[in-house]
Amino acid sequence: MQLPAQQVAVLEAASADDATSVDALAAATDLPPETVTGAVFELEAEELVAVTERVDETVSLTDEGQEYVTDGLPEVRLYEAALEAGAGDEPVQMGRVIGASGLEGPQVDIALSNYARKGYGSIDSGEITADPDAEPDADAEANALAELADADDTPVEDADVDAETLEELERRGLLDRSESTVREVTLTDAAVTELMAGLETAETVGQVTPELLTSGEWEDVEFAEYNVEADAETVEGGKVHILRQMSERVKDVLVGMGFQEMDGPHADADFWINDCLFMPQDHPARTHWDRFALEQPSHIDELPEDLVERVERAHREGVGEDSEGYHSPWDEDFARALALRGHTTSLSTRYLSGTEIGEIEPPARFFSVEKAYRNDTLDATHLLEFYQIEGWVMAEDLSVRDLMGTFEEFYAQFGITDIQFKPHYNPYTEPSFELFGTHPTTGELIEIGNSGIFRQEMLEPLGVDCDVMAWGLALERLAMLTTGAEDIRDLHGTLADLEFLRNAEVTY
Amino acid sequence: MPTVDIDPDELRELTGHEETSDDDLKADLFGLGLEFEGRTEDGEFELEFAPDRLDRLSVEGVARSMRYQYGDARGVHVPSPNSAEWTIEVDESVPDERPYVTGAVIRDVNLDEDALDSLIQLQEKLHATMGRKRAKGAIGIHDLTMLKGRSATDDGAPSIEYVGVDPDGDHFVPLDSDEEMTPAEVLENHQTGQTYADLVSGYDRYPAIYDDLGLFSFPPVINGRRTEVSTDSRDLFVEMTGTDQWTIDKMLNIVCYALSARGATIEDVTIEYQDHEIVRPDLSTKTKTVSHARIETILGIDLDPDEVLDLAERSGLEAEKTESEDGDLVYEVTIPPYRVDVLHPLDIIDDLGRAYGFNELEPTYPDVGTVGGRHERSRLERAVRTQLVGLGFEDLLNFHMINEAENYDRLDVAPGTDAYGAGEPVTIKEPYSEDYTMLRTWVMPSLMTVLERNTHRSYPQHLSEIGFRAALDDSENTGVGESRHVGAVLASHDAGYEDAKARLQALARNFDVDLETPPTDHPAFISGRTAAVVLDGEDVGVIGEVHPTVLIEYDLEVPVAAFEFDLAALQ
Repeated sequence: MQLPAQQVAVLEAASADDATSVDALAAATDLPPETVTGAVFELEAEELVAVTERVDETVSLTDEGQEYVTDGLPEVRLYEAALEAGAGDEPVQMGRVIGASGLEGPQVDIALSNYARKGYGSIDSGEITADPDAEPDADAEANALAELADADDTPVEDADVDAETLEELERRGLLDRSESTVREVTLTDAAVTELMAGLETAETVGQVTPELLTSGEWEDVEFAEYNVEADAETVEGGKVHILRQMSERVKDVLVGMGFQEMDGPHADADFWINDCLFMPQDHPARTHWDRFALEQPSHIDELPEDLVERVERAHREGVGEDSEGYHSPWDEDFARALALRGHTTSLSTRYLSGTEIGEIEPPARFFSVEKAYRNDTLDATHLLEFYQIEGWVMAEDLSVRDLMGTFEEFYAQFGITDIQFKPHYNPYTEPSFELFGTHPTTGELIEIGNSGIFRQEMLEPLGVDCDVMAWGLALERLAMLTTGAEDIRDLHGTLADLEFLRNAEVTY
Repeated sequence: MPTVDIDPDELRELTGHEETSDDDLKADLFGLGLEFEGRTEDGEFELEFAPDRLDRLSVEGVARSMRYQYGDARGVHVPSPNSAEWTIEVDESVPDERPYVTGAVIRDVNLDEDALDSLIQLQEKLHATMGRKRAKGAIGIHDLTMLKGRSATDDGAPSIEYVGVDPDGDHFVPLDSDEEMTPAEVLENHQTGQTYADLVSGYDRYPAIYDDLGLFSFPPVINGRRTEVSTDSRDLFVEMTGTDQWTIDKMLNIVCYALSARGATIEDVTIEYQDHEIVRPDLSTKTKTVSHARIETILGIDLDPDEVLDLAERSGLEAEKTESEDGDLVYEVTIPPYRVDVLHPLDIIDDLGRAYGFNELEPTYPDVGTVGGRHERSRLERAVRTQLVGLGFEDLLNFHMINEAENYDRLDVAPGTDAYGAGEPVTIKEPYSEDYTMLRTWVMPSLMTVLERNTHRSYPQHLSEIGFRAALDDSENTGVGESRHVGAVLASHDAGYEDAKARLQALARNFDVDLETPPTDHPAFISGRTAAVVLDGEDVGVIGEVHPTVLIEYDLEVPVAAFEFDLAALQ
């Protein structure tokens, strides 16, 4: 019979009478244990060996446990220092005893939490007493540490320590338990017969080489087996940032729904950010505290004159009959002031006004997934910079039902269903709705966006004479919903933990 | 969003539905757009409201809306004020910045603790919203019995006078104080005075209101103690000053409706300006014309005209069917005087939709065909990002805002020099945080910071970002030059110039641009190991080994090779 060398070696090292462990076979054959294990399984399949398995439980001390073997348990050291300081007779200031004991850092807490438990005395109001009758020499935990000190992986049954003490040591993190499977091998009768008849060794090779292939030798060799289950070395491939992945996914969905992408300035005149949106100049959101106004440069050079005129008139008088505008001041200089856009709706006003890509004829759908800036308190759900998904649909006649249908379709792409519409107020849309959706995993009802039909006072000055419905949503919010991330700061910005990014699940 | 506190028991009493459970009450409030946020210490409902229906800033206003919702009230109700006895005379000395005043007298009001609390809250909430923190409109409410009217008018009718005084021209005892102070001293020493000092400190003369006994109110800052309202007050004088007549008149209407709901009688006040006279409160209604077709288009449903009339009444409006000049069906809709949010007929359609129940509408996908597509810039960015990831880079996404120290100093570059990335900063006015004072002029600082924060993570660390950056640029309309840079860093124990160059070459090859790297100097990089990135003949970036001074600055113990260049150069 012809067998690979390692199988022959294993058969020759094993016995038909006594079970031999894989480790013992490895020692006898001078092969790595995983090679022996592989060979044993092959031989078992050939019915040349019988394999039995049992599970051994072993214990060994942790580094902290080893340290206490040398230095003594913290509570014992505390007790000894306390006795020394006279705490056996009357309470002593704890600070003094701790100082004398030489305990430092976390060891102090460890000593204090075990001191009274083990009857070394009591601690009360910063004072410590010691029980003079306590016997540190009889401390079961200390003795167990000494017992286990020298050996690694002592089989549990060989350790002269009771189960309760073992459990306590494990709880304190002084001891590790581990389980290992021990396989033992016995030769079968068939193997004995084959051995008697004599075994030949087949040649095995590790690597497929050019020589092997060109010479044709590969036909006569056995390939050494690998442990194909073992973990390989970690490879850190590059990956698109998870928030970018989310943004790509949103863009894909919107393009699929017929939306065209917009692009435009981050630093823009308040005119485009707010005035064109029919936001009154004294609206609270336009105060210093909510926006990032620019110091340098401070004002835009030019605005389209006739548009400025129309927008001002809409603010002051409204548009059309029965429209009254705001009873608020309006100043062109204020409109020309530059700020980091507080929403990407500034792109929508620029596009709708016809100044970006010319007049847009209905029907049309536009979107952007771009950054907006808002002066908010930085916390787990708010960032100063965030990505806003902005979208609008322009058509001759649009109803709130069209708006609802569009959003249901969009959010369904992300597994968010049962959208609810809460009537809401925005200065630039009417009717307006806050959108609520059901969290795909927790089932919670969560605000997922803000929407509405743009007001006449906004559209008319921009030169739009049909309906436009629009909505906005923070991309981070959608990402948190779909990835389950809880802290927005993990996702975005220089706080980024590479480990988090490397391990983040891909979204698609 | 702002909140208003409402006592549920009072609400039940004022709506006349004592039996409503807390849960039903919450659901009914949600229907009005008032979201239950929690309870106050006193057990009141804390409700979040959208700042359009300012007539619902008090329990009386919320109760009114609920009575319409329940169908207990329909149409428009206007209280009838008694004719004016009191006059507010407006003196020519009144500061130009705050010329307007309005007022009303309220008689026989029953102010128990709850009613007084509600009135004070309404005053505060109106200040915070319509009043723009008192800048646009400020409310003063006085105990009428404590006022001694001047008899300046011929018929001997009582009057008070709105005037402008020198900051130290007179004195009075303000609320929450025992001392006589001049207006200027109030701004200096009184807590409320300090809070609102900015509103008037620029005026030459300060606004003040006098009766026969002297100065009793210093709007918009504080009232005098003499006329303080208490639960014993039966008759009130309400005055409001501001920068816009319409705004204070509407605020006054909301207060009058709230007090009228408690059984008080409203009495007109005559305002005598220098050149004209008006009588307030102005409780006249407005009408707007709404087209039936437009209602149907916006709601997306067919409606029977009678149904529209019904929806209007249930919204506290009154509609009348009529015909437009073109013969179309339209409605003349009457709007009550407490409404401040109806700017356009569309706002009435929103009311009708709410009364109908927006959630009753069936969503439809708009039957409109359009072609989608991405912006060229965004396609290029995606393509470059795909290549970078293929080359093994971890794609990053960092903040655009930064501060000067991070953007320049730590990388040894100075603003406005010709080193790549060192453009003049676009700065933020009165920055909120010293960490964010400008827009980054390049992405290297962000990448270096991520390396700094991750020294405990395994190497190699190959990071890249295609990121927004900006610097001053006079040739732009905004004065801001905005663009994207491609930045990359390679950090590992053996990272070197060649590793960076190899990857840059691969990028250039993939986008079919010629790459040259003539030697250059840059303060952030090691001299002799730094080159300009020249793509198709244009100098668009820098590549090199980061200087050890910079590595030490970022606590890095491994070499870093890096490049950064303008994304547009790959176009």
